[in-house]
Amino acid sequence: MNSEVSLRQITFMYLFISISTILRQVPEALARDAGRSGYLSPIWSIIATVPLTAIVILLIKSYPGLSFYEIMSHLLGKILAKILIFLYLIWILLALIAKVTAYSLTMQFTLMPKTKSDFFMAVMIILVFYALIRGIKTIFRFSELTLGTVLILFAIMFICALTRIRGDYLLPVSTIKLKSTIIASKYVIAVGGNIIIALFFADKLGISVAKEQIRKLWFGLLAFTLLAFVITFFTFGISGTSLTESLPFPFYITVKSISFFNIFERFEVLVTLVCILSDFAAICIFAILLMRCFTWLFDLEDCNSLYTPLAMIVFYLTYFISSTQFEFNFLYRYVIVNLNLIFQYAVPFILALLCLAKRKKLKKQF
Amino acid sequence: MIYIFSFTIIYTLIRQREKLLSKKRNLILYLFLSVIGITLGVVYLMNPYIPSITTVMERYMK
Repeated sequence: MNSEVSLRQITFMYLFISISTILRQVPEALARDAGRSGYLSPIWSIIATVPLTAIVILLIKSYPGLSFYEIMSHLLGKILAKILIFLYLIWILLALIAKVTAYSLTMQFTLMPKTKSDFFMAVMIILVFYALIRGIKTIFRFSELTLGTVLILFAIMFICALTRIRGDYLLPVSTIKLKSTIIASKYVIAVGGNIIIALFFADKLGISVAKEQIRKLWFGLLAFTLLAFVITFFTFGISGTSLTESLPFPFYITVKSISFFNIFERFEVLVTLVCILSDFAAICIFAILLMRCFTWLFDLEDCNSLYTPLAMIVFYLTYFISSTQFEFNFLYRYVIVNLNLIFQYAVPFILALLCLAKRKKLKKQF
Repeated sequence: MIYIFSFTIIYTLIRQREKLLSKKRNLILYLFLSVIGITLGVVYLMNPYIPSITTVMERYMK
């Protein structure tokens, strides 16, 4: 079947769409809120991401073959489920707009500072349209194929950067900063929560999900935590905390000083490329999630015709919501992160509690 | 951009008229979203330097 996806593909997608945020926002936010010890925050994030993964698995296993909306309807009733789906729709729309803004700002910061953002957005809209016409599976396959190359590239970069790390930028780590590193981990948690995309595609996973597939989800979480830790560690170790907290894209500046035995240099172009690809996949996925929310909310059968008006709304809302780097930083710090915590953690947590309470009834049904 | 988007909206409406007209809900939703999009476009065309929502939020939160 063309529309079916596996948990393995979802895991790859989760990792791939998280990369751009880990590279751009996470090091800067951790440096600002936790200082020199901030690179430890990704480790604390597992306190929240592990239970979330367990919740996702519990819901998928308890309601095999059902969509996120159907799971909500079972647990909360149809009216509450519709209200929640509407709220999810607003959140996804905002996340999509933020992603488009972040992408155009990255392009302006790194490659084309004199080009207007509407050009970048128009190009992205055309690319996303093309990808969406080809179907969900194409986008999942794209991230599946690209992620391996990206991870190898990062591995090479990190090996090359080992000699550049300065111990005095990373040590000493004081226990006084422990509390702030734990609080700052919310920035990593807000990205790690992307794993709930598995719930949005729960109906595409089939009736039975093998243990091996579930293991892939845990592997994805482990890889995410490791990636977030390593990227923050290298950014802090090479650029230092004060520079990291004052830059919109600190990892880009960090890799400028890396070279591969003086043979290969200018890795920053590759980092920009990785960011663009990751943003592209994320925009595609958010567009699909938005469409799924519309389908569930209005009981639509096919909503491909809605792509055009929605693209127009997203395009203009990027100007009305945030257009400069300062505005985007504020939006991300105070709105996006907190909304992510609510929709990625609080709501699934409530659903999991209800699911556990109704478990006996469920066993009889499924 | 507003002209390109408007043209695309009309083109999609003509191209997918059968699908859109088959159910009242589809057409209403399509028209509703199109009107929102065009309104946003017209507002932006009239005043491109309108303060963003984040700027307003920032002003009130500080």
